[in-house]
Amino acid sequence: MNTLTRALKRLNGTQTLGRGRAFWSSFAVTAVVLTLAPAFAESYIVNNLAYFLLWPFMALGLSLIWGHAGILSFGQTAFFGLAGYSYGVISINLGDANGLTWVAFAAALILPTLLAAVVGYFMFYGGVRDVFVGIVTLSITLVMETFMAQTAGPEWAIGTARLNGFNGMSNMPPLTVPWFGGEALVLEGTPFYWFVLALALVVYLALRWLVNSRFGNVLVAIRENPDRAEMLGYNVRLYQLAVFAIGGALAGISGVLYTTWGSYITPSSMGLTAAALPIVWTAAGGRKDITTTFIATVFLLWLSQTLAVRGAQYALVLMGAILLGVVLVAPDGLVLPVVRAVGRLVARKPRSDTAADARAASQEVA
Amino acid sequence: MKKRPPALSTALLVAVIAAATAPALAADPVKIGLLEDQSGNFAIAVIPKIQATQLAIEEINAKGGILGRQIKLTHYDTQSDNTRFQEFARRLIQQDKVDVIFGAFSSASREAIRPIMDRGKQLYFYNNQYEGGVCDANVFVTGAVPEQQFSTLIPWMMQKYGKKVYTIAADYNFGQISAEWVRNIVKQNGGTMAGEEFIPLSVSQFSQTIQNIQKAKPDVLVTLLVGANQASFYEQQASANLSVPMASSVNVGQAYEHKRFKAPALKDMYVTANYIEEIDSPASNDFKKRFHAKFPDAPYINQEAANAYNVVYLYKAAVEKAKSTDMKAVRKALESGDICTDGPSGKVCIDPKSHHQSHTIYLVHVKADHSVEIPKVWDDIKPYWLGEVGCDLSKKDDFSQYTPSSPPKK
Amino acid sequence: MLATVIGFAYQIADTFAFLVLASVGLAIIFGMMGVINLAHGEFIMCGAYLTVLTARAGLPLPVAMLLGALVAGVIGMLLEYFVIRRLYARLFDSIVATWAVSLIATQGMLIVVGPSIEGLKTPFGSFELAGLSFSWYRVLLPIVALAILGGIYWIFIRTQFGVHARATIQDPAMARALGVDTDRVYALTFGLGSALAGLTGALYAPTMTTVPTMGSAFIVQSFVTVVVGGADVLLGAAPAAALLAFIQSLLTASYGQLIGQMGLLITVIVVVRMLPKGLSGWMLRRSE
Repeated sequence: MNTLTRALKRLNGTQTLGRGRAFWSSFAVTAVVLTLAPAFAESYIVNNLAYFLLWPFMALGLSLIWGHAGILSFGQTAFFGLAGYSYGVISINLGDANGLTWVAFAAALILPTLLAAVVGYFMFYGGVRDVFVGIVTLSITLVMETFMAQTAGPEWAIGTARLNGFNGMSNMPPLTVPWFGGEALVLEGTPFYWFVLALALVVYLALRWLVNSRFGNVLVAIRENPDRAEMLGYNVRLYQLAVFAIGGALAGISGVLYTTWGSYITPSSMGLTAAALPIVWTAAGGRKDITTTFIATVFLLWLSQTLAVRGAQYALVLMGAILLGVVLVAPDGLVLPVVRAVGRLVARKPRSDTAADARAASQEVA
Repeated sequence: MKKRPPALSTALLVAVIAAATAPALAADPVKIGLLEDQSGNFAIAVIPKIQATQLAIEEINAKGGILGRQIKLTHYDTQSDNTRFQEFARRLIQQDKVDVIFGAFSSASREAIRPIMDRGKQLYFYNNQYEGGVCDANVFVTGAVPEQQFSTLIPWMMQKYGKKVYTIAADYNFGQISAEWVRNIVKQNGGTMAGEEFIPLSVSQFSQTIQNIQKAKPDVLVTLLVGANQASFYEQQASANLSVPMASSVNVGQAYEHKRFKAPALKDMYVTANYIEEIDSPASNDFKKRFHAKFPDAPYINQEAANAYNVVYLYKAAVEKAKSTDMKAVRKALESGDICTDGPSGKVCIDPKSHHQSHTIYLVHVKADHSVEIPKVWDDIKPYWLGEVGCDLSKKDDFSQYTPSSPPKK
Repeated sequence: MLATVIGFAYQIADTFAFLVLASVGLAIIFGMMGVINLAHGEFIMCGAYLTVLTARAGLPLPVAMLLGALVAGVIGMLLEYFVIRRLYARLFDSIVATWAVSLIATQGMLIVVGPSIEGLKTPFGSFELAGLSFSWYRVLLPIVALAILGGIYWIFIRTQFGVHARATIQDPAMARALGVDTDRVYALTFGLGSALAGLTGALYAPTMTTVPTMGSAFIVQSFVTVVVGGADVLLGAAPAAALLAFIQSLLTASYGQLIGQMGLLITVIVVVRMLPKGLSGWMLRRSE
């Protein structure tokens, strides 16, 4: 029990915003409402929610790498794409019987992590820092996009899976949970939504624990002053490598989920525009905190889709204007000011919680 | 809240029940969903398609609609972005519950939504020229395909200019497969390939390519270039005075380069298109008049606009034959072999086996001053290839895309 | 043989010109000022559009080009005043801000002007040499690129404005203490960067399609060239462009455009790994 209580304590800490009864009760309410959503919302809304919830993993990875460790990676989409294509290739070759899609799923998470570890080793142990990291990672994702876009011919196949170039790979089976002695559960529609939601909750809590642990604190120390961290005895390069690998894994989760959601993966998922989007979400949301990053990503996805539906050709202009306004007016990202305003409106708390909130406010990460 | 008087609430109740149980009258619209890029990289070639669809729907509605029901169009701007195609395809199917979906420009966006159409068993029309080979039970294609565009163009060019052919193509599915078609047709007609170059979509500077072409000294240059970046080739080759006659299936007819580049960048460019604005026939001129009446600022009416216009009438004919908008029934009607329409380029019909459409193919020659002449017209070229290699959707369902080097398994 | 040599020399010069001209505006805004300007391509687009529209309205081409550059510079100064100025303390947020500006500019251009406009003819015609024909204009571009590089060098080393600009960028507080109007310097430097981007657009306008998204043809090359050049932009930009141009031309001539494109990016990765401070960092270290 001791380890468990210690672990639970770490869910709150200096590296995450939100603590105390108000935060965790609204968290619980949100989780319950989202879980029960299929009961009262149409299937389209549920599918759309699943779509919104599959992207924040990549943003969380970037928040970890960039917001917490100070490494601006412009190429998270490389890991996203590798995960998607790995799932496609392996699941098409193995088929969906007997739970083999989970083998594909596992491989699709391991491969980007390995690639991230290799790239991280290449960069951090080679002395590449700051803006150069961004350029190297951007170049990597663009090389992958350029290469994959021309794999259209039938000679570009791994086993029975054709890479199919720019047109994209499709027809991969969805994740299937084998039900021995009955019909397998295909993760589509509502079951898929629950799977993504569960994964989101687990990953979110796990990351909260991680960033509030010693590991997370060291990352912030490295972000603030890498030389000082080095002189204090921390193996800076190893920490950077580790966090970069984790970021790659998280981007990979988004990649697999996107591929199974749409039964499709394409090289443009690794292109310049796709690479810039997670950075915009993370930066606009307040990259230093995973909660604000999560909320901002979902919100911006919803906003851009709604604008596209209702705004016709003005959608992109409006999106740009809103983003511009946000970045000028809200330096800490768009989530915090809204939350603070809501908090002020709901300012009927018992005194102990107010004290906790005051402490939290004063300890806010710069 | 005040209590409503009982009479009023009863009346309301009756009205609600009546509305809920009233049979589907003429007021129940036919719902058409449109997924087209009004913004982003592909907007140039796609905006005429959107306008053409709107024109056709307006005309049909004015004459009473389909089976007495008005058409309701739901268009989402997909912003030349594959993920938007996926999002909005689902929205049209699950939320708007449309009877048919038209749309997509690039093959990538079509392939992004084809799995969604198949999963939702949704009737879908792709109205764009492409590399051919889609053999899918739920998909019908009004766009032109290689056997219609190349088996007319290449032999003609080889006969007029010579048998050494050099191809430059965009380095992805459409370019590679089209280049394969060209290679095969050149060989069949006793010619030789002086060279082949595949160019990534992001390239905009062509000095090396121009030099390679000069060294190879071909008689005909086949250009299969896609996108605004690659279109810069034409001005650059003109400024280097390359002077080789060019042949294409994709330029001029879609993004009207001959109107956007200063003469003589496209001098001696030959294109096979199933329609262009410059066609001087009664059907074409009448279409243009109506188009410009509704859209006076339209920059150009391209071949895809003709497809987007025809498809609405083809759908209408199929629904009327099936006497319903039920997708299975409409599909059966479309496979009957006599669903045709008289459009801006003449009569076009749906082929039951391949779900593709026959075309009148016009050979367009761009002259030095960028005016256009049409030296040859091929009538009623059928989309024969898929049927020949074994795709017969009227007998057997399929959900794939085939290419000459990977045809259906026998 | 002679044709191959001349042809290859032409290709290197052509690619060198493209890399230099693509990156020269960004070198000042990003390389010197540190602003990650994702709207760099849109300044190029702006210069191109203005050149084409004014040249078609009757202005002689060189005047139209200078006008395009000037207007891009003014727009840059306005952007600096209203947006960038608030972000100097948090330069990473310039990513979101300039990304947003890029969205507004490309889509706005599409809505207002339409998806494309009729372009310009490349001036000066062609000439023949060793059995190949070349465009005079494209031979001129590398010369113009070198002239611009020389001009920037002159501005930043030999003029008072340039010295003030470098001082302000290096240590704004100290520069202010010494009496430099840092606000004005920032505005003018940013304006100069955007004017140079506009000039690039103007110079390439007669050779490319004028579409709202034409900036995307330049942006990757500009960022990689600036970064490979390293922190000292005046020292590193030209060698970086020369090195990358040489490798890309060699690969394209030998293996085709795909290998050329991929080769450029892979070269960037390798060079950054071998010289983590870029070319200028390596050159400065060697000179110690």
